[in-house]
Amino acid sequence: MKAIRLGNKIITILVKDRAYYPGRLMMDTFAIIARCGILLTLYWYVFRLDGGTVNGVTFPIVAWSMFFYFTFSVFRLRDISRMIMQDVQSGNVEVLFSKPVSYLSYRMWWQVGSGLYSFVVISTVGTIVLALIVGFPATMLRALFIPTFLLVVLLSIFLSLFLYTIVGLLSFWIEDNKPVFWVVDKAIMILGGSYLPVALFPSLMYGIALWSPFGASQFMTHTVYSTWAGEWLLKTGIQFFWVVVTALITLLLFLKARKHVSVNGG
Amino acid sequence: MMKELRFAFYAIKKNIQSSAELRTSFLTNIIGMMINNTSFIILWVFFVKSVGVINGWRAADVIGLLGFTTLSYGIVFSPAFGLIKLPDYVANGSFDRFMLSPKSVLMRVATSSFSVSAIGDSIFGMIALAIYGFLIQATVLQVLLMCLLAIIAAFVHLAALIAIYSASFLFSANADSVTRGFFELFLTPSLFPGGAFQGVMRFFFTFFIPALAVGALPVEIVRDLSLGKLLIVSAVATLWFLLSLKIFYWGVKKYKSSNFMTFGS
Repeated sequence: MKAIRLGNKIITILVKDRAYYPGRLMMDTFAIIARCGILLTLYWYVFRLDGGTVNGVTFPIVAWSMFFYFTFSVFRLRDISRMIMQDVQSGNVEVLFSKPVSYLSYRMWWQVGSGLYSFVVISTVGTIVLALIVGFPATMLRALFIPTFLLVVLLSIFLSLFLYTIVGLLSFWIEDNKPVFWVVDKAIMILGGSYLPVALFPSLMYGIALWSPFGASQFMTHTVYSTWAGEWLLKTGIQFFWVVVTALITLLLFLKARKHVSVNGG
Repeated sequence: MMKELRFAFYAIKKNIQSSAELRTSFLTNIIGMMINNTSFIILWVFFVKSVGVINGWRAADVIGLLGFTTLSYGIVFSPAFGLIKLPDYVANGSFDRFMLSPKSVLMRVATSSFSVSAIGDSIFGMIALAIYGFLIQATVLQVLLMCLLAIIAAFVHLAALIAIYSASFLFSANADSVTRGFFELFLTPSLFPGGAFQGVMRFFFTFFIPALAVGALPVEIVRDLSLGKLLIVSAVATLWFLLSLKIFYWGVKKYKSSNFMTFGS
């Protein structure tokens, strides 16, 4: 209960802060227009050139799939690794370790709270705009879609947080974790179906996306395809497996990292 | 002018020496960035393989596109990384110290910081262009054009960087967010295959947001040996560079110091 109260407090404060200072929202809006907006225009053109269908998929399905990826990225869960690195490099971690709250849960709640406002605003506005432009594909109107989508998003949040926390914790051992971050981040970008939708993946790449934690962290991009009804159980199962594995790795790394820090106070 | 350039080279040399002190971090940053950029090649090559040739753009052209974009990005960002910090300098008042310097303000700000990872971009760009040259079996003229266009693209990148980050003088409260947002609008389309930009989109992203001038148009110039496009890219680079200088110095006039006792950090 205490942990949930702490999380609730952090999220409430951060959401109020973000609503008061709209700079972050402005930046996220620009970013989503630059990345997703232009990319969708490009795909719209490509689909028009190819007669409306590529690899048996229509443009609205691809548009929603990529929209889910980019909207989720607005959450900025990946920034947790940068925050942990800054804590380690600045020595702030020593102060945070001496507080009567768990460092990891504090950082995770903070990350969720700092991205929540932009995520809610942009996903709501984006959904309305995209629905008006391309409409909803039939696959999104099934009864199965919303509950499984919410479940997948929830598991994706956990998995992303654990993956990026692992990268962040590496800064207890290496000077600069940015290169590791880039590799993990780009693996997620490629296998998550960002610039290239899942439907256009070659079979080997699809296999890697399906079974690796990087692809699994973005399974929300798979929910709009017609195959989702038959695959959702397997895919949420894979996600759950990776959540457990990455959570265990995070915990082990954190316990080892704690031993590296000597809290002297002062 | 020569004195200013000598000073800039001296500042860059010192920045490199300082960054290279942490040797492991220095090397991993360079290699990490090269791996990072490879991901875009993988993505776009699969894209072209899936959807086919788009208005004459093949997988090899995508490699050329990333070569030009990353090389010009690296050439500008490694020595002139200070421009990225302009929003911070303006917001916390440390821009004062640049104004007090007898050297060119723009030069001092630009060379005040250095990006190690951008060296990785430059190396990656050169390798990608070499591969592109090999794939299209480039003639001597095409190789010379590649060298010239890399320099022109770097000028466009520099102009965009100066113009966008000069917005720091206007939006001091949200400067970091606004400038990063604008820069996304410029950089993201520069990484997309040019074949998909036609009509109004092509016009807009060539002249108003010169994203195509750093990658897509240079590839088309080398591939088609198009003198017309070369003239357009050169004109865009010159005009945007002059305009960016105007915007920067206009912004400097707007700058009001917070007058910190410490003259910034």
